[in-house]
Amino acid sequence: MGRRLPQIFFALSLFALVLIIAAVWQASTPSWKKYQHEYLQMEAQGEPNAVTKAAVLNTPPQIQQILLPGLQRVDRCTTCHQGVEDPTMKNAPEPFHYHQGLGPHVPSKFGCTICHGGQGLATDVKDAHGNVPFWQTPLLPADYVRASCGRCHKEGDIPGVPELTEGRRLFETEGCRGCHKLNGIGGSIGPDLSEEGASLRSPQWLEQHFLNPSAVSPGSAMPNFHFTRGQARALTYYMLSLTNADMGAYYASEPLIPSPSYGRELFVQKDCLVCHSIGGVGAKVGPDLLGVTKRHSTNWLDEQLVNPQLVYPGSSMPAFDMPATERKAVIAFLATATATDAQAIVAGKGQAPTPEDAAIAAGKLDFGRFGCAGCHGTDLQGGVPNPNAQGGEVPSLLHLASDYSKDDVLEIIRNGRVPPLANTKGPQPPLYMPAWKNLLSDEDIHQIVEFLWSKQQKSQDNW
Amino acid sequence: MNLIREIWQSIVRRDPLSTDKGKSELVFLNVWLHIHPAKVKKEHFKFNHTFYLGFITFFLFLVLVTTGIALMCYYRPYPSVAYQDMKDLQFVVFMGPFLRSMHRWAAHAMVICVFLHMCRVFYTGSYKKPRQFNWVVGVILLLLTLGLSFTGYLLPWDQLAFWAITVGTNIGGYAPFVGNYIRELLLGGHTVGQEALIRFYVLHVAVLPSLVILLTIVHFWRIRKDGGLSRPIWKLKPNKPEELVTIGATPQTAPLQAVAASSDKTYGLMEVVTGKPIFETVAPEEEEDAVFSYPFAFFREAIALMATVTVVMATSLFWHAPLEELANPAKTPNPAKAPWYFLGLQELVSHSALIGGVVAPSLMVLALLVIPYFDRNPSRRPSDRKWAIWLFTIFVVINLVLIVIGTFFRGPGWAFVPPWVHVVAGAE
Repeated sequence: MGRRLPQIFFALSLFALVLIIAAVWQASTPSWKKYQHEYLQMEAQGEPNAVTKAAVLNTPPQIQQILLPGLQRVDRCTTCHQGVEDPTMKNAPEPFHYHQGLGPHVPSKFGCTICHGGQGLATDVKDAHGNVPFWQTPLLPADYVRASCGRCHKEGDIPGVPELTEGRRLFETEGCRGCHKLNGIGGSIGPDLSEEGASLRSPQWLEQHFLNPSAVSPGSAMPNFHFTRGQARALTYYMLSLTNADMGAYYASEPLIPSPSYGRELFVQKDCLVCHSIGGVGAKVGPDLLGVTKRHSTNWLDEQLVNPQLVYPGSSMPAFDMPATERKAVIAFLATATATDAQAIVAGKGQAPTPEDAAIAAGKLDFGRFGCAGCHGTDLQGGVPNPNAQGGEVPSLLHLASDYSKDDVLEIIRNGRVPPLANTKGPQPPLYMPAWKNLLSDEDIHQIVEFLWSKQQKSQDNW
Repeated sequence: MNLIREIWQSIVRRDPLSTDKGKSELVFLNVWLHIHPAKVKKEHFKFNHTFYLGFITFFLFLVLVTTGIALMCYYRPYPSVAYQDMKDLQFVVFMGPFLRSMHRWAAHAMVICVFLHMCRVFYTGSYKKPRQFNWVVGVILLLLTLGLSFTGYLLPWDQLAFWAITVGTNIGGYAPFVGNYIRELLLGGHTVGQEALIRFYVLHVAVLPSLVILLTIVHFWRIRKDGGLSRPIWKLKPNKPEELVTIGATPQTAPLQAVAASSDKTYGLMEVVTGKPIFETVAPEEEEDAVFSYPFAFFREAIALMATVTVVMATSLFWHAPLEELANPAKTPNPAKAPWYFLGLQELVSHSALIGGVVAPSLMVLALLVIPYFDRNPSRRPSDRKWAIWLFTIFVVINLVLIVIGTFFRGPGWAFVPPWVHVVAGAE
């Protein structure tokens, strides 16, 4: 025995090494790599150029994921379903098939599990499709996926999903609330249905239950309503759409959908009525916007929003730095906007806008755009350190009016200024006010001064 | 070649292992190995006496520290992300499932091995003089191990974790006067939530491991000072008081050879100071059985280490740690169960909160702590201590039976449901 000890130790160590290699092998051969490999080969097939072909084939395998931070969701489905957003994969077999008919619901913004269910975090077939213990929302069968539309679109008709409209109508007219609570209203004989869409019940179970409650739930107190198959399907859709998770609010708040209501928000935020009017309500600096979408094409309007100078050289409309979805949203709003909207917006502001407001708004834009805010702060608070300048920092612009007149300030902006030194023998301060007269038009400078004056505060400490 | 030899010599600084001097120097010139004596008796390493349970427990702890540190790189103790981090470990992190499974299975194994180790120490009477206090240290280490396992249980933030800790801390809340304060101190609130998670995390990765390491050092040091690893001393030749020699303290300056036991044996400082050896004493003839720790002891320990590691790795390769659905405070599983080692207590609580939550655990811990001072019988021979062995066996069996009932025979509403009867949960 004693002599064998080193041999036993050696054998065990070898066994441990084998186990480690097995673990590494287990970890480096996940099923998704196989699918990515297949996909790359499919892509490379039609590739005539040998170099490109080799590059495609040598793409390193990678987990793909769509992050939806607001929903605490991570969808890794596209790790295998690589072709969802690639129209050339229209005829590819699953799991590489292109997803048609999504409209604005692009997978890269919406993820997959939001509609389909399943376990977005998982990276192997069984776990990802969610038919595993301890995962509450397995993949919805194809027949029922459209029920998920109701999770965000909680009101009104949803095009292409008449079942949801019918289900909602049935729920409110057949007296379901007599026994079931939904969002706090209803009886308590049956279970609360507010989270029914997130429960473990399968769609088939729900549908059977509507057709004959006691068949799937013996002893159930729910009477048989003798629903038709279509009605049972509609109610099942409605049940599957019920969840408290406020996904609709997330997507509406995120600039993902260029909806008219989002466009209206932007319209208010950008103070468009400072220059424009709708149906005569608002300022008259720019053209009236009532029916503007009928006068111009969507593309023209989009270009106008990107850079007004390109469409109308010399236009006084500033270029609003808006991403495509925001521009689409504003145009969508303009298509529906009426004088009533404008009145409501003006009422919300408290006062009708004046040409002075327009100048101030333009000045505010310039103040940010030309970089004034870089040193003086977005709220004119100053405070950027500037060694050896008097005060040691870039001055705040909130109390200009107590020391300078408007003309003084115009002069300073035009010709620039070196700040007075704190220590006359010390070095020059690194920051100074440059001369702007060659960069800004006089109109811009005036607008900036108007903006500055609109922000002046009464000096607190006038001793 | 000379340079290489010089570098090697500068590292090991000992004679070749083929010489006796080299074998001794391997032990006492090495900071990690010198907790061992340079020479050991063969009986110290008799497998069917100790079953190496103490070694295995310590090696499991090493596995836990190693995998635990690796897991810390991937885990954030905050409710909204903790569960997602577990899922990432499961699906995205390279070897993540293997790592987590090793940690989980080693943790369960450590709880079991600590308990078995305690049983072995009791049945061999190894807690008797002079080892009484080391038994007490051991009991505290048992409690710390349970604490480590319990605090780690919450971290995955799944339903299993959330409700096990809710039930577990509720049991603690039954203690009179202080119970609720301790519970709130532990949870940082009235219910298990974000504060509880960060507190359990700090306890799990910093406080409790530090305490375990500190007490383990004491535990090992005491073993060495109390006469080495336990051995079936009653089977050895009887003592001859007039020929006593001490073992353990070796004069490190003298050349180490097999010195025949005689009156001219040199003694360690402690004997000189106290005038009387505090160690276990044996007959002088026994001295001849002593062998060098290298290779006799070290290879046995190394084999125990490798066996422990391979068993944990093999288990983790084929059987992954469970992860249930995300913790949901609004949805109580029925039945909600504490971690398995507390299910005996939960079973008692289901009969009487006072007895199960307060009296039984307090008495159990107290009884374990006072055993070496209460049991005055000096003999370690099993035939001399039938009463003690019977009592302890009853204690162990009752504990095991309660845990088995709590684990396998309790269904919804804590009703008695044998494991072979399937109950449909959540039936309306």
